[in-house]
Amino acid sequence: MEIAGGLTVLSLLFGGIIMAAGVILAKIIKMLFFRYYAPTLPKDTAKNFGKIIYFGIIIIAFLVFTSSQGIDFSGLLVAGGIFAVVIGFATQSVVSNLISGVFLMIEKPAKHGDTIQIPDMDITGTLLDIATFSSRVRKFDGTVIRIPNEKFFTSNIRSFALSVVRRSDAVVGIAYNHDIDDAISAIKTEIRLSMPFVLVVPAPEFRIEELADSSVNIHVFVWHPISDWGQAQPIMLKVIKRALDKAGIEIPFPQRVVWRSKEEEEEEEDKDEKEKKMNRS
Amino acid sequence: MNQNSSEQDQRSNSSSYGVYKISDSLNLHLLNATITIKRIDQHTFSYFREDVQGATVEKIIPVATGNLGIEVAPIRPLNYPARRGNHVFLQFDKEIYLRDKSTIDIFVECPIEIGIFLMHDSNHDSLDCITCDPVNSRFALHGSTDTGFLCKYADAVVRTSESFDNTAYTKAVMKISIENQLDSDHAVSKVVFPITNNSIYYKNSESVIDSLKVIMRKRGLVSIADVKVQPLETDWARSPAWEKSTSDTIMERDIE
Repeated sequence: MEIAGGLTVLSLLFGGIIMAAGVILAKIIKMLFFRYYAPTLPKDTAKNFGKIIYFGIIIIAFLVFTSSQGIDFSGLLVAGGIFAVVIGFATQSVVSNLISGVFLMIEKPAKHGDTIQIPDMDITGTLLDIATFSSRVRKFDGTVIRIPNEKFFTSNIRSFALSVVRRSDAVVGIAYNHDIDDAISAIKTEIRLSMPFVLVVPAPEFRIEELADSSVNIHVFVWHPISDWGQAQPIMLKVIKRALDKAGIEIPFPQRVVWRSKEEEEEEEDKDEKEKKMNRS
Repeated sequence: MNQNSSEQDQRSNSSSYGVYKISDSLNLHLLNATITIKRIDQHTFSYFREDVQGATVEKIIPVATGNLGIEVAPIRPLNYPARRGNHVFLQFDKEIYLRDKSTIDIFVECPIEIGIFLMHDSNHDSLDCITCDPVNSRFALHGSTDTGFLCKYADAVVRTSESFDNTAYTKAVMKISIENQLDSDHAVSKVVFPITNNSIYYKNSESVIDSLKVIMRKRGLVSIADVKVQPLETDWARSPAWEKSTSDTIMERDIE
C-alpha cells in the first residue's frame, strides 16, 4: 500500500527499524566511548566527542534509510529554503546560542572545572560545562547558574586558572607614632612564619597607600599558588594583626585632633567662672 | 649560641635513618617530630606522629605477618606544605662569578623531607612524610606568572668542600658542577632543576643527593643553561622513592 511518493507502509516500517537500530547503536557506542576512552580525555572534549558520535551515527542511519528507499529531497529544497528563513527568524536567539556554543567549544576561553568570573553578570564560580545552547557555572554558594551561550561568548571572562600563581592583598593602618619599617618587618616575618603558601619569590610587597587621617595605610601584596587562595587571602588580615600586636604597633581607631584658639579658650574660662558664681549664689 | 647547642643536642638525641623491625613498639625522635608505633593486637599496629607545630597524624596499620617493618629515609622535598610541582629552586647565598670557558665545583645544602615507608617483601609503600624544617619549606615561582612553574625554595650555603654542619634530617649535601662554555663572563646566583631525577642516599642521620652538572652554552642566538643529573657512586643506602621521575627532560631556561 503506497502512502505518498513511493513510500509504502512496509518501507516506513523498514525505515523505522533502521532508525531504531541506528539510535540503539549510537547509544551503545556512546556508552562504550564514555566507559573506555572518555576518562582519558578532558571532560569538555569527551562530552563533545560523545555528542558527535551519537548524532553522527543517527544521521548516517537516516541517510541509509532515505537512500534505501530512493527518497528524492530535491523537491523539498525550495520549500525547505523558505521554511529555513521562517525558522531562522523565529529561532534567532536559539541559533545564536548554538553558534556561540560552537565557537566557545573551539576557542575554549575556559575549561570544565576552572574558576571563572563574568564581571558583566556579577557571576563567580566553577565552570561545570559548555553545552550546545548554554553553559553552567556553579557559584560558591553551591547554586548552579545557567548562562545562554550567546551572553557567555560576548561577555568578559576572567579566568582564575590560566596562571600558575595569583596575588592577594590587604590594607592595614598603623599609628603615626610608629616606625613604618618596623611594621613592615614585623608583617614580613609573621607572613614567612605562618603563611606556608605565600611565595618567597616573588617576595611579599609593601606599599605606603596613604597618609590618612588617623593612620599610615600600608598595602600588603603576596603571591601564592593559584589553587591556594583559601590559604592566603582569608587569613591575611588575621596574620597582619597578629604581627602588629606582637611588635606592639598600634592599629589606631579613627580620631580627630581639635585645636582651639586662645580667644576661644578665654571665652570658655569666663563662661565657666560665671556658671560657678551663679551656682554659689 | 644556646639555640644552636640545644639544636645540636636535639640532633644527637635523634633516631637514625634506616630499617626498623617492630615486634611490639618503637619510638622515633626526628629533630622536632616524634613518632610512636605500637602493637594494638596480633595483626594491627597503630602509628602516631606529632610535630613541633602540634600537628598530629594517627593511622592504623594491619599486618599479615606478626611483625612490622618500616624504613625511615630522606626523601625529595616536594610534599610540605603541599605538592605543587617537581622543581627545586636553590638560591645561593653568594654569587658565583664564572669567567668564560671556565668550570667550578661547588657543594650546597639541598632541602629534604623524611619519608616513613612500610616494608613488605621488596616493596616500599609510603606511610607518612615529615618535614623537620617547616618554617623554611616554602614555594617560589620560576619564570613568568603564566608560563613559569612553581618550585620548592631553599636558601643554599655555597661551599667549595663537602663539609657541612647540622644537615641531619633537614638537608642533603649536593655537588654542583658549573661550566661556562659561553664567550663572556657570567654570575650564577641560583639553580632551578626537577628534583625527581635525583636519588637521595643516607647513612645514620646524614644524607647526600645526586650531583648536578650545569652547562651554560649557546643554542642559536640564545644563551641557555642545561641542568643534568649526575648519579653518585656511594656505598650509602639509597632512599626509596615513589614519585614518577620527570623522564629525561632537561630543564633549559634562558640565562637571566
